[in-house]
Amino acid sequence: MSEGDRRKQLLQLAAGAVFLAVAVVLVLIVINATSGGDGGDTKLEGVKEVNRALNGIPQSGMVLGDPKAPVELAEFADLQCPYCKAFTEDVLPPVVENQVKKGEVKVSFRNYTIIGEQSLPAGAAALAAGAQGRGWNFVELFYRNQGAEDSGYADDAFLEAIAKGAGVMDIGRWNRERAKFTADVEATTAEAQQLGFSGTPSLAVEGPQSDGLEPIETPGSTGDLEAALEAAQ
Amino acid sequence: MSYPSEGNLRRAIAFVAALGIGVATYIAVEAAGGDPPACIAGSSGCATVAKSSYSHVAGVNIAVFGIVGYALLLASAFFADDLARFGGFLVALGGFGYSVFLTYLELFKIDAICQWCVGSAVLMTILFLLSATRLIAYAGAEGGPVPDRA
Repeated sequence: MSEGDRRKQLLQLAAGAVFLAVAVVLVLIVINATSGGDGGDTKLEGVKEVNRALNGIPQSGMVLGDPKAPVELAEFADLQCPYCKAFTEDVLPPVVENQVKKGEVKVSFRNYTIIGEQSLPAGAAALAAGAQGRGWNFVELFYRNQGAEDSGYADDAFLEAIAKGAGVMDIGRWNRERAKFTADVEATTAEAQQLGFSGTPSLAVEGPQSDGLEPIETPGSTGDLEAALEAAQ
Repeated sequence: MSYPSEGNLRRAIAFVAALGIGVATYIAVEAAGGDPPACIAGSSGCATVAKSSYSHVAGVNIAVFGIVGYALLLASAFFADDLARFGGFLVALGGFGYSVFLTYLELFKIDAICQWCVGSAVLMTILFLLSATRLIAYAGAEGGPVPDRA
């Protein structure tokens, strides 16, 4: 075979390989785009918005923010509670943007189950998502899709859809582990009661200027919350 | 159209492939130790990507495949024949295609960016361009040591 023929043959093979590679990548993307990660069969609101809002913020278990942040805001909440949803969506975001992202404050989500019997498995499901680094994605996506209080919507199918939408990668592991987190949900509920809380959301702050975890009045505005966090610094 | 000498292309491929081996080895070693690679500026993207189910194929960390790919590309730079040119091009094409797919996953499925993965994708893109240029310019040419071809 002449040099020219060999060159022509190699370049033809290369062109075919490029065509094949483009086709394989496109097929892989299409397969992935149409499977999982979006809540499966359950139509969820706000999947992209929640995951984008939390992208880049460290998460460790149910703690959002730098684990070494000097001030901790503990939010005792029930996933089925509409006031908790309002607090997380309306009051908390500026604090996350201005103080959590800067490493000044971390926020821990602690279950305080008071609404109904589905609150316990829902809280455990959130903790199992936290074990895979997607706890806050789970909480915020749950709030975005919250149904009427204690109406029975938070069943296993709903929780799994939230977990998938929140980006929990190993759903099998999440399913296996979530029951074991029930004890942790009960522990934080007991902790809330010991702190004297009687409703949700209830908040406590711990920082250099506070004596352990100190309850604060649930703020009605971001300004009130920022003032309480500043006092603890 | 004038192309760089094949010697220069081979040296560039060897240099970038060596960098790639370093990056992929760092990711693989950290993963083997149970830690995600450290992201700059405290970002959690590397940990999120490393914990995702996409970080392994058939139980093997994809960084290991990266090491193998970069090593093959490094090896292709040591020979000036059509097997090295075409083989290097195929490996770089596969690596580039998979990098495109992984970047899609990071942006649209995992919703997190791992700086080390982006670094590897950039290196693989450069290697694809270098290998493609080498193949287009020198396919069919007689082989020989680098100084003779330069």
